[in-house]
Amino acid sequence: MKTIPQSIRLAGGVLAIGVVLFASGCASNVNSYERAESQAAPNVIADKRVITDNTLAGTVRVVSINQGTVSGNLLKIQATVENLRNSTRSVNYKFEWIGEDGMALDSANETWKTLTLQGRETTTISTVAVSPRAVDFRLKFRE
Amino acid sequence: MKHTVTSRLLGLLAVGAMLTFSGCETATETRTVDAKGPQAINTSAINSQDWANAADQLLNSLLSSNALNNAPHTPAILAVDRVINNTQLMVDTDLLIKKIRVALTNTGKIAITNTMGLGERAVVASEAAELDEMQSGKKAKILVPDYTLYAKLIQQTDKNGKIAQNTYSFQMSLVAVKTGLTVWEEEKQIAKQTKGAGAIGW
Repeated sequence: MKTIPQSIRLAGGVLAIGVVLFASGCASNVNSYERAESQAAPNVIADKRVITDNTLAGTVRVVSINQGTVSGNLLKIQATVENLRNSTRSVNYKFEWIGEDGMALDSANETWKTLTLQGRETTTISTVAVSPRAVDFRLKFRE
Repeated sequence: MKHTVTSRLLGLLAVGAMLTFSGCETATETRTVDAKGPQAINTSAINSQDWANAADQLLNSLLSSNALNNAPHTPAILAVDRVINNTQLMVDTDLLIKKIRVALTNTGKIAITNTMGLGERAVVASEAAELDEMQSGKKAKILVPDYTLYAKLIQQTDKNGKIAQNTYSFQMSLVAVKTGLTVWEEEKQIAKQTKGAGAIGW
């Protein structure tokens, strides 16, 4: 009976573990389906990005930001966020509001929230300004 | 020679004992953190960040629904109705309601009456109105609310082996007084899983 050399057995074991890890990494990925030609007409705005954490920016990406008005004169912001990784990731985000005079508006809804995204998932986060004086916003992300 | 080894051993023991006892004497360290931030201690209960998030989500839903656009006048008068706490937690429901009140008042679309509704604020405001009536001899004009706000907190606990999950539901309804119709309703949930017997979530 011919025995398999130990080095080959070791390599086989490493390969098997790699396959298991790779498969489990993909297990939480999200497949999504949508209308081929979207009927929605979002008011997408141009945004400025200040990146100080490249690792974070490589994990979660803001695809687009669109805005609308609700309850007559309150600004609503919605950001489409994508997980660039193949595994579930959690990040914290916060919206801040700025008034016409450039002053930050202390708002009750300026809270850090935890966002959990499955692998390669795209989702939206949104907020509504609680003051009609809010004209600008800032969206922050942190690990 | 033997004496030297013994003294060295004793010295080591003394150092070990000192390190052990100094470990027990660690000074209490307190730091200020953002109550609405991720540094807030996470427990199986509702923490400060959860209250803020629940209030934020409910507010976003109410304002996005445009329900206040049909108010008979601006600002619309709102009375805060009962807040029922059906959780196992002894919590002050103002942790939720106050955040909603502040935010709604800031929008300029709502003015909250204190002469109706429950709670100490309503009692004081009612007594003040009565006193004013007695002193002026004129019937105090009390504004009838356009809307009432009703809220309920519910807790559901599920267990699977060593994992316990507490799901907290924050339900809120806005009712138009004249019609009795609910013009806005929302339910937001926060689920927290705790592994093991400890109370700290992860």
